[in-house]
Amino acid sequence: MQIKLKVFRYLPHTGKKPHYDTYEMEVDPNERVLDVLEQVRADSDPSLGYRRSCAHGVCGSDAMRINGRNMLACKVLVKDLNSTQITVEPILGLKVLRDLIVDMEPFFDHFRSVMPYFVNDDPIPEDGKERLQSPAQRERFDDTTKCILCAACTTSCPSFWANGKYVGPAAIVNAHRFIFDSRDTAAAERLEVLNEDSGVWRCRTAFNCTEACPRDIEITKAIAEVKQVIYSGKIE
Amino acid sequence: MSNLKTTLTGYASYRGKEGHYSFILHRITGLGTALFLIIHILDTSFVYFFPDLYQHAISLYRSTLFGIAEVGLVFCVFFHGVNGLRVAFFDLIAPRLWSVPKQRFSTKITLLITLLMWVPASAIMLYNMLYHNFGWFGG
Repeated sequence: MQIKLKVFRYLPHTGKKPHYDTYEMEVDPNERVLDVLEQVRADSDPSLGYRRSCAHGVCGSDAMRINGRNMLACKVLVKDLNSTQITVEPILGLKVLRDLIVDMEPFFDHFRSVMPYFVNDDPIPEDGKERLQSPAQRERFDDTTKCILCAACTTSCPSFWANGKYVGPAAIVNAHRFIFDSRDTAAAERLEVLNEDSGVWRCRTAFNCTEACPRDIEITKAIAEVKQVIYSGKIE
Repeated sequence: MSNLKTTLTGYASYRGKEGHYSFILHRITGLGTALFLIIHILDTSFVYFFPDLYQHAISLYRSTLFGIAEVGLVFCVFFHGVNGLRVAFFDLIAPRLWSVPKQRFSTKITLLITLLMWVPASAIMLYNMLYHNFGWFGG
């Protein structure tokens, strides 16, 4: 099929202002948007910059706005966009370094701020070598273990666009994963961070994060559960 | 990009679904209601400070333009109130119900409830405006 691909371009070393380049090309409808970008770089413009690594929806490198909505370029087929016009732009709310590449450091700073790692300094149980957990206890946080840190959720959030200090959905999802882990002992520290001005209360339930998540994590629900723990004081 | 520019770009160009538009409408209706409240507090204060200006403000409220704006204001109040209750219910009472299908359905129900309250209220307000300002219906 014939498509018109419009790509956001910004190459700071050229001194040119941000603009859009348009490419008319023939593509297979079953190709992914990432394949289309690869084709542009191979055939038309090797200077086109974007991140990609695994190209199979696992590494989370290639989150971008495709026809106005955050998606992983490696997970969306051209035919599923239902349009012969495809517009590709960088995710919003993070500084654009070049073309479709944004500065992810503020995003990872927020991620690190919620202590996204297992904390338990208690001695290992004498009767075994592991801290046992029932299937139900594991199930409690199963959904939030799936995050790949692609930033599609955080950069689709209107509260994050308005205030970059907001920790954002991805950081809360990763905090949720440990707050509800029965073996972890640092929930209080994480909840303290999330109860601050830049924490969970900035979520306005616009649901863009849940709709954008390529792993189908129920993000708004996870954020609301963290809110509930904060005001009830109980982890259930 | 400044935060304001990013925010406005996102509001206008991000192709979210029901939740995105419900959020934007909640913001707009909240701003509309807040703006009216500020004006209303100011004009009411005129009763004490500038009684003549107060009478002028009241006559402005009775004008056709303000009458139409008031119909919009009632929509703002109804939508903001009903949507606020929806969000508070899901967020504070039943977070486990925050799923995509339930959220999409609830936004549509919110709009329906708003319209069910707003349409009759608008009809009464428009009737009064036509009666008093244009002499319709024997006014």
